[in-house]
Amino acid sequence: MSVTINTRINGQSVSASADASTSLLEFLRDVLEMKGSKLCCNTGECGACTVIYNGKPINSCVTMAADANGAEITTIEGLADGAKLHPVQQAFIDTGAVQCGYCTPGYIMSVKALLDRTTKPTQADIEEAVSGNICRCTGYNKIVDAIHLAADRMAGRV
Amino acid sequence: MEYFEPKSVSEALAVLARHGAEAKVIAGGTDVMVDIKFKEEPGGLINIKKIPGLSGIAEHGAGLRIGALTTIREIETSALMREKLPVLWEAAHQFASLQVRNTATIGGNICRASPSGETLAPLLVLDARAKLAFADGEKSVPFTAFFQGPGKCSAGVHGLLTEIEIPYPPAGSRGVYLKHAVRGAMDIAMVGVAVLLTPDPGKNNIQDARIGLGAVAPTPLRASKTEALLRGKPLAAALLKEAAALAASESSPINDQRSSAEYRRWIVEALTRRGLEQTWKAATGKEVA
Amino acid sequence: MAKAELKVIGSSPARMGGVERVVGKGVYGIDLMLKDQLHGAILRSQYAHAKIVSIDTSEAKKIPGVHAVVSAEDAPNVRYGRSYIDRHILARGKVRFMGDPVAAVAADSPAIAKQALKKIKVVYEPLPVVIDPEEATRPNAPVLHEDMPLPKTIPADSGMKNICGHTVVKVGDAEKAMAEADLVVEEMYETKMIHPQYLEPRIAAAQMEPNGRLTVWANAQAPFPVRQEVAKTLGLALNNVRVISAGLGGGFGGKGSGITSGAAIEPICGLLAIKAKRPVMIVLDKAEETISTTIRAGAKMYIKTGVKKDGTIVARTGKVFYDAGGYSGFGVQAGGRCANMLGGWYLMPNCHIEGYSVYTNKQVCGPVRGPGGPQAAFAVESHMDSIAAKLGMDPAEFRLKNIPKAGDKIVGVPKLRDVSLGETIKIAKEKIGWGTVKLEKNQGIGIATGSWIESAGPGGGAIVKVNEDGSVTVHIGKIDMGTIPGFGIPMIVAEELGIPVSDVTVVNVDTDASPWDAGTVGSRGILVSGTAARLAAIDARNQIFKMAARKLEASPDDLEIVDKQIRVKGTPAKAVALAAVATDAHNVIGEVIGRGYCDNLELMAEEKAHGSSQPFTTHACIVEVNPDTGNVKILKYVAVHDIGQPIHKAAVEGQIEGAAAMSIGQALCEQVVFDPNGRTMNPSFVDYLMPTINMMPRIETTLVPGYPGAGPYGAKGAGEIACVPPMACIANAIFNATGVRINKLPLSPENVLRGLKAAGKA
Repeated sequence: MSVTINTRINGQSVSASADASTSLLEFLRDVLEMKGSKLCCNTGECGACTVIYNGKPINSCVTMAADANGAEITTIEGLADGAKLHPVQQAFIDTGAVQCGYCTPGYIMSVKALLDRTTKPTQADIEEAVSGNICRCTGYNKIVDAIHLAADRMAGRV
Repeated sequence: MEYFEPKSVSEALAVLARHGAEAKVIAGGTDVMVDIKFKEEPGGLINIKKIPGLSGIAEHGAGLRIGALTTIREIETSALMREKLPVLWEAAHQFASLQVRNTATIGGNICRASPSGETLAPLLVLDARAKLAFADGEKSVPFTAFFQGPGKCSAGVHGLLTEIEIPYPPAGSRGVYLKHAVRGAMDIAMVGVAVLLTPDPGKNNIQDARIGLGAVAPTPLRASKTEALLRGKPLAAALLKEAAALAASESSPINDQRSSAEYRRWIVEALTRRGLEQTWKAATGKEVA
Repeated sequence: MAKAELKVIGSSPARMGGVERVVGKGVYGIDLMLKDQLHGAILRSQYAHAKIVSIDTSEAKKIPGVHAVVSAEDAPNVRYGRSYIDRHILARGKVRFMGDPVAAVAADSPAIAKQALKKIKVVYEPLPVVIDPEEATRPNAPVLHEDMPLPKTIPADSGMKNICGHTVVKVGDAEKAMAEADLVVEEMYETKMIHPQYLEPRIAAAQMEPNGRLTVWANAQAPFPVRQEVAKTLGLALNNVRVISAGLGGGFGGKGSGITSGAAIEPICGLLAIKAKRPVMIVLDKAEETISTTIRAGAKMYIKTGVKKDGTIVARTGKVFYDAGGYSGFGVQAGGRCANMLGGWYLMPNCHIEGYSVYTNKQVCGPVRGPGGPQAAFAVESHMDSIAAKLGMDPAEFRLKNIPKAGDKIVGVPKLRDVSLGETIKIAKEKIGWGTVKLEKNQGIGIATGSWIESAGPGGGAIVKVNEDGSVTVHIGKIDMGTIPGFGIPMIVAEELGIPVSDVTVVNVDTDASPWDAGTVGSRGILVSGTAARLAAIDARNQIFKMAARKLEASPDDLEIVDKQIRVKGTPAKAVALAAVATDAHNVIGEVIGRGYCDNLELMAEEKAHGSSQPFTTHACIVEVNPDTGNVKILKYVAVHDIGQPIHKAAVEGQIEGAAAMSIGQALCEQVVFDPNGRTMNPSFVDYLMPTINMMPRIETTLVPGYPGAGPYGAKGAGEIACVPPMACIANAIFNATGVRINKLPLSPENVLRGLKAAGKA
């Protein structure tokens, strides 16, 4: 059965239909052809599909597309301001936290949500924010560096 | 696959009456969406998130009422919950990832009726009750009678869980929820142990002990023999050892891809011991002698 | 070139392709969308070992929206493989592991494809299953490949079965020397199957072009072997097959071995596209990946070492049963590497190791990150600590007593040019606080060393094209999965051409245009493509100088490139813009195209003459063991590496940190679990546990300078070696903390607690 979805993505109104069994991730990638949110485990275990939904980071792969109705959604495509990268995006590049880059969009969304909650995250804050984001390339060192660098820049500490 | 978005409890019950056998209720979706992708697509999906009034945490008399659609994150960030029902708060705090906690609901976790469901052992030790709506009226079921087997609970295919009622534990009680995992909160609990201890007014003996075990039987369970053993006694080293061993024997875990049954029993023993020590110290100020 | 003269080498400029990745551009294979594409899906065996009695696809073909259904009879009867050519793209006659492809469909939607798979009727005759590699060699074991001969070195009357590879390491007279040793220690170590679990699922897409060529898109590490094998298995000429790569979301060798790595997803997709006469795309899901694609093999290793009282090693014997899986895959090579490395990288005057790569009814071995090395090191480095304990010697001192020096040979390396092993041990001791740090109850400290063989492998080329504006486009045969195309290659080209790193673009591999390459595997990226790119850039520079020299009325030898200007050394005013020369080239030679290649025979000759420079490493860690649950927490972790001259410093550190993390995962929580029927019990991320950020220590990396390698500017490969030490490092720390030696991976809470209880410590 088809459902109509009226939602706002990255500040733009979007209207489209999809089968009721469609996940929000499938809606983004296959219906809207927005490839930034990544498909990996499809079970809510890896965080590669993380988007911000009404201000909260969620796994779009286990969220119904139908639940996008009336919601404000931010995806990775909505962070940069034209050619100017968001500080979290820039920090990931600057610390070498982008190797293959597949976990990167999901990570950036989780980190953006974290830095919306707190301007000086502790190690515990970081672990809470991104324990659900798996990276297979970096061993997490340079990702932690990027989070601190982004936080410091956004708070004007560097 | 049919799709329904009922706008009220009665509308939901009407849909469930017609379609409950082949349709699935979906709340947060973190379990049901995986079923859809990897198992069979159900005959229908009943999205209950549009029903008003099923979310929220409120004091009610000497206890809390939690709407079934309250997210795990809402429970985790509730100062009221953390203060009044810390054993349930601890389960919410060790529940999967932040992304999952933002959408998963306590009602979903309960009705999934997985033996390892994080909130279940805490609900058992809190003597919480499920408020169920059926076409022919409401029912209040204690969680100790709510779970019938993996995936089977008192809601059945036609009922709707609307609310969870939790009385405050007796004054002076202390509780803890210990989750055993390889990595941490991200894992499905290999063993979950919830302990609630109430000392007597003189803080010398255990007035009441409640021990809930998760992931070690077809349903979450109360270790009632262990509770009976502990009642009325001071928690000394020998009793602690005996109680931990008895709790392990009350569990009936299986061998699966996560662990052997033997190992799970060792962990029940270890976590029961640690849980009793911690709650005894918190409740009485005493170390176990 | 002296260090002081290097402009960018050794620094950490922004990753080429970094912006696209942080803004979410669709640069990966999985992001592809072909016009009018159909969805492909694969039916896999339901038995780990069975005869195929019949396959009936007629019902499936009738479903509306199904455009093609194929099984073995639709493909040429051609086998593929690496050492043993033992496999068909769709199972013919027999299936040998659950996950073996049996049939495939192309349909309008994933849902219809799924429906169609259900309608394919396969009748199987189940056969006995064997899942242990040692058991599979016994005379009474079921035979997986009746028509594959045993290796010639196995005596026909041995009664051994299911062996696809046999490696014999023989140095001196090990049996005699062992008998004369003061102390002999004999142990067995076992590792389990691991899946590389790159995050981007594998895809293939294919379409027949109007002129009869087949175009295949693959997120494969080895596009040229994919081209070769697709052509072979589908009966097409090589010039009629084109393979296009994209950026990869991880690979780790698991996407690395031609069509073997994906269990033939590329030719199956090509076959569907040919039959359906429409483009087809197959996207595997992660659970399907775990059961069907190439893995890191488990190994059973028997190791025995004889030493003198003073700690000098005099002899080693050993036996390796290396689990190749249902087909030989990369199991022969990896098993051989494991057997060689069981001889260790210490002085080994007498050594005899027999290594068997064995067929079992499980997933197939691939060239996963350091194939054979981490397994061998788990045994060797744990064993070293067991010996040290029996000798009453400090484990670090015991190792230092036996390290080789320049000019010595070790097993697998006839002559070492220089040896950094001792220095890495000393630095690791210092960084971890060996002998000085105060350890609390249940805490322990451990050390483990490692090496990785750099030499011997295919060569490769590079093409450097200088555009009219002085920017550069580079073609190499290596793909970008966080590897050299994004990091080292642009830097090397920028270094030689005197241009900004950001002016260099390395393009995706397209077998129609890129130079041939064996695959982005084996830590050979910087060695092969780095060398080739450097020589290509120098070639381009020489062409530029020749043309500029005419303009500047100078000799080409007197010119330099600085800030995109070609100028006469010492007379900076006499200059011409690089862009001007590159544009003028149209009227002279057409275009400045530099070509370079890494000559493998030259490398080998150089090594033979002067010795090879191995990338040694030492890791050290402090752990805390929970005696109630067996949980192990790593409190501190140091990784000390000699990788020669780092080209992109942060990228090299990233490779070390990532590889160490992968092996920490193998140590603490990862394994593929099977039931006795050969069914994978934990295919999804729910129960295949990979390390999350909360359980990982900060990996403190130290790079040791002064031991240049064979790569450009003295670089050595960094992609795999950090996988080698971690499992033994952690096991040794657990031993130090508890006195309990755990000899089977993983060092999971259950296995640790079981070990503690067996030793009466819990």
